Amino acid sequence: MEFEAVIGLEVHAQLATASKIFCPCRAKPATGLSVGESDANLYTCPVCAGLPGALPVLNRKAVKYAVMAGLATECTVRTESVFARKNYFYPDLPKGYQISQFDRPICEKGRLLINTSTGCREIGITRIHMEEDAGKNVHLSGYSLVNLNRAGVPLIEIVSEPEMKSAEEAVAYLRALHEIVIFLGICDGNMQEGNFRCDANVSVRPHGSPVLGTRTEIKNINSFRFIEKAIDFEIRRQIEVVKSGAKVVQETRSYDPARNVTQTLRSKEEAQDYRYFPEPDLPPIQVPADWLSEIQQHLPELPAQMRQRFQKNYGLKPQEAAAITASRALAAFFDRTVQLLGGRAAKAAANWITGEVLRLVNEAGQQIESSRITPQHIAALVELTAAEISGTEPLVSSTGAKQALAEAFATGEAIQEIVERLGLKQVSDSGAMESAVEKIIAGFPDQVAEYRSGKEKVLGFLVGQVMKQSGGKANPSVAQELLKKKLS
Amino acid sequence: MVQVNEKLTKDLAELSKLELTPGELQEFTKQLSQIVGYVETLQEVNLKELNLEPQGLANSSPGNSGGVLREDEEKASLLDSEGKPAVLAAAPDVLNDAFKVPPIL
Amino acid sequence: MIQSIREIHDSFDRGEKKPSALVAEYLARIQASPLNAYITVCADRALRQAIRADEVLLKAGKVPRSGQPLFGIPVGIKDNLALSGVRMTCASKVLENYIPPYSATAVERVEAAGAITLGKLNMDEFAMGGSNENSAFGPVLHPTHPDRVPGGSSGGAAAAVRANLCVVALGSDTGGSVRLPASYCGVVGLKPTYGRISRYGLVAFASSLDQVGPIAANVEDTEVLFNVLAGHDSRDSTSLLSEVTAPAAPFSIAGLRIGVPAEYFVEGVASEIRTAIHFKLQLLESQGARLVPLHLAHSRYAVATYYLLAVSEASSNLSRFDGVRYGVRPQAAVEAGELGAFYRATRARFGAEVKRRIILGTFALSSGYVDAYYHRASQVRKLIQRDFAQAFSEVDVIASPVAPATAYKLGERSDDPLQMYLNDIFTVPANLAGFPAISLPSGEDAAGLPIGLQFMAAHSNETLLFGLARQLEQSLKEERS
Repeated sequence: MEFEAVIGLEVHAQLATASKIFCPCRAKPATGLSVGESDANLYTCPVCAGLPGALPVLNRKAVKYAVMAGLATECTVRTESVFARKNYFYPDLPKGYQISQFDRPICEKGRLLINTSTGCREIGITRIHMEEDAGKNVHLSGYSLVNLNRAGVPLIEIVSEPEMKSAEEAVAYLRALHEIVIFLGICDGNMQEGNFRCDANVSVRPHGSPVLGTRTEIKNINSFRFIEKAIDFEIRRQIEVVKSGAKVVQETRSYDPARNVTQTLRSKEEAQDYRYFPEPDLPPIQVPADWLSEIQQHLPELPAQMRQRFQKNYGLKPQEAAAITASRALAAFFDRTVQLLGGRAAKAAANWITGEVLRLVNEAGQQIESSRITPQHIAALVELTAAEISGTEPLVSSTGAKQALAEAFATGEAIQEIVERLGLKQVSDSGAMESAVEKIIAGFPDQVAEYRSGKEKVLGFLVGQVMKQSGGKANPSVAQELLKKKLS
Repeated sequence: MVQVNEKLTKDLAELSKLELTPGELQEFTKQLSQIVGYVETLQEVNLKELNLEPQGLANSSPGNSGGVLREDEEKASLLDSEGKPAVLAAAPDVLNDAFKVPPIL
Repeated sequence: MIQSIREIHDSFDRGEKKPSALVAEYLARIQASPLNAYITVCADRALRQAIRADEVLLKAGKVPRSGQPLFGIPVGIKDNLALSGVRMTCASKVLENYIPPYSATAVERVEAAGAITLGKLNMDEFAMGGSNENSAFGPVLHPTHPDRVPGGSSGGAAAAVRANLCVVALGSDTGGSVRLPASYCGVVGLKPTYGRISRYGLVAFASSLDQVGPIAANVEDTEVLFNVLAGHDSRDSTSLLSEVTAPAAPFSIAGLRIGVPAEYFVEGVASEIRTAIHFKLQLLESQGARLVPLHLAHSRYAVATYYLLAVSEASSNLSRFDGVRYGVRPQAAVEAGELGAFYRATRARFGAEVKRRIILGTFALSSGYVDAYYHRASQVRKLIQRDFAQAFSEVDVIASPVAPATAYKLGERSDDPLQMYLNDIFTVPANLAGFPAISLPSGEDAAGLPIGLQFMAAHSNETLLFGLARQLEQSLKEERS
């Protein structure tokens, strides 16, 4: 019997606001209490600490970010949505309830396009809703400690339709979603720090069966690679269970990367009755049509759209487009560079950026947006080196250009000035090179003889000598042509 | 009509983390049963007159619809005179500026 | 003799008394009082404030009445409103040692207006009760008949005002908790329009029903206190942005339409109360008001609706009392090896009425029951709102008793919770529908127990209520002399 997997994903993304969702405390997500962490509970107030008498007041930006997420995934955004209380007891939940959304979430019925080895598919998004994050518990021996810095940080929960059929699809969905929230600027997306948390619901059923199998939930995995492995394992495990005649137990499981297995975290029998009811301390969230269209108008271009545009307008190949949109900063840098170039030589610009620029930036442990290199620098370099712009021969050799770039990275100086200062303009005029070439031919009779006797390789040596003679200014390919001509 | 018996009372007490003595369990069950019996009258109300208003549910409290949203500005947290988080001052057990509780797992 | 704010300010101006002397008098009276109206007295703090007031008065030469309408006025604060640095217990063993690090907006406003806080007033635990017998700090006694209850849950506030243990008081009203004790004790109590006074810093019982309410011995003082308290607060998302309705013209009794609901004047109401109220209404009619019979179709469902919604919200609001961040952590909780035992040990300190309501609320919200109970009650609430909206299109105010009977004896009703709940029949509608309601002293019964008359007005029409209240108060004064 053939089995198929049914996978649904729940993502909790922390919104990158300055303050918490219901109070003005800094939204500093705590990474946990390590020995010596000195700011536990520093970012708290009566509201997020759940003191008696405190009341929530909604952060406008959190609403805006939630709407942006909905628009980017083609959801319907509700004009009026409602907060609800999710009631349960836990030390990291100060009020004994979480303010979330239940019946009327802010966004519904969206979709996300994913690409896998089997092709392109659309995965449905059931809903996106807003809620507050809980604090953080640290477990020690004999006791636990609670840090409420994270309590009240705004979250959006994005729930997919259970439409994915493989671990590969699940990860493709997660990567696409991850990329979107980062490009929108609404989430930092650092999974290690818990900005972007994924839970997977996995079940299996005989191929073609209309009935869903029992599902398990896998939680607390913080890398795409591990999520893929965990889901893969879980699918195989469930198929084994069913094949053996047993029943899959509905439960929550975690993933152990060392042994590459999932294991029981807690049984779903302890399933809670959350007693949801509408939050009486908060009026319904209003997103009137004019605000919605304002947000829509200012929505940043999405990565998929950008890649399309780069391929269509700038002639990039799909891989090149993917590389240049690895981050929003990179893509923006590229866009601006090509703008400065009047739309020409986009490929050359892309190559420079994903090549030399990224190398310099990464080696120095910097970010492209904060390094000294600007789109102006790259545009200038392209103009000096790209044949289609500078004329038949580039004005600076590629070696010279790399040198100029490194200099610009260090000092921020304009390319033109660096080229002047370091004398990097190469000479391509064969007439100007005549005397240098003649000198070399005269000065290296042995090598000349070797070349004439058939040793082609020696030409390289002679070209190198011409370069040396010209102080690096000679255009090597022009020098080579000239030598060939004179020695033939 | 719902049967309010001791099992139900016990389950509800567990959900709300309340411990009832056997005496309380008995007494509360009786009182709850009475009260639930009284509020049953609501079942006879004809709700059709309501015709599902658009902002139907929830927040039936009159007042603002809309309310005021807060600008996303960080404000200094509540600290006491020594610069420590004020919310810790009333805590029964604090260690390393965190709230100490029995083991969770 | 209970002095009004105006009389006190006049005596300050005439140099007859200083604020510190006045406060010392009140503190002495509190000390000697058997009523148990206060849980915490802030003697030092109050005297320090009073001495500062002495200095201000000396410098200014007279009371800065417009900038500080409550200058030097001793005030009592119900113990569910936070005053920073002063113990707040909500009359519960769970919060026996709790000191809030911030003040409620209502308290800040009152102190900014110059009032001097004498202390935190006794109440029913977490505002749940109608007699102030549910306090972990002992019951409050009725100010003139000490074998009787003062009403609740703001029993301490109403008793203190009547017994001159403060000049004005802040109470809270969720289903009648300001109006009922005000009527039992013979003082004035207002529940404002929902959202009119900020709830920031008021320990929540039922969030969609709670309101802070002013209590005083006369209408003018109640109104002065109301004006200090009222107004938008950005820290409370349910706070009204709109202003109190400004009347087109000064109050006039002529042509005022007073609605008299048939459902409210029935046998279950003590005959002396019905008589007293009818007499007052006839008095107003003789002055030009028009009495209009009314029908409130869903009045018999009001108590059930109220109780289901109130206990549901309460069961959630009280979940934060888990012993993790504040409150008493009893030894059993300290020794608990796991969370469940920890929570149960901490929350065992709740009183019986609180536990009862939490369990009832948990029931009403439980899956399987939530539709038939909580959601249904929400729907019926809307019907009740509609009844009143309709009524206020036909009349300007609605008159009713505050309670079916006058103050009963201590211990008389404490065994029958349902019986207690039914006592709220006239007060809960104003909380359910959000409109303002005031309780006015309107005579006494044969035993000398005060009778309260309630007027209700449409949303934000407090000015009309105060106008009518002043009219009645003046008329009754004239009647007596």
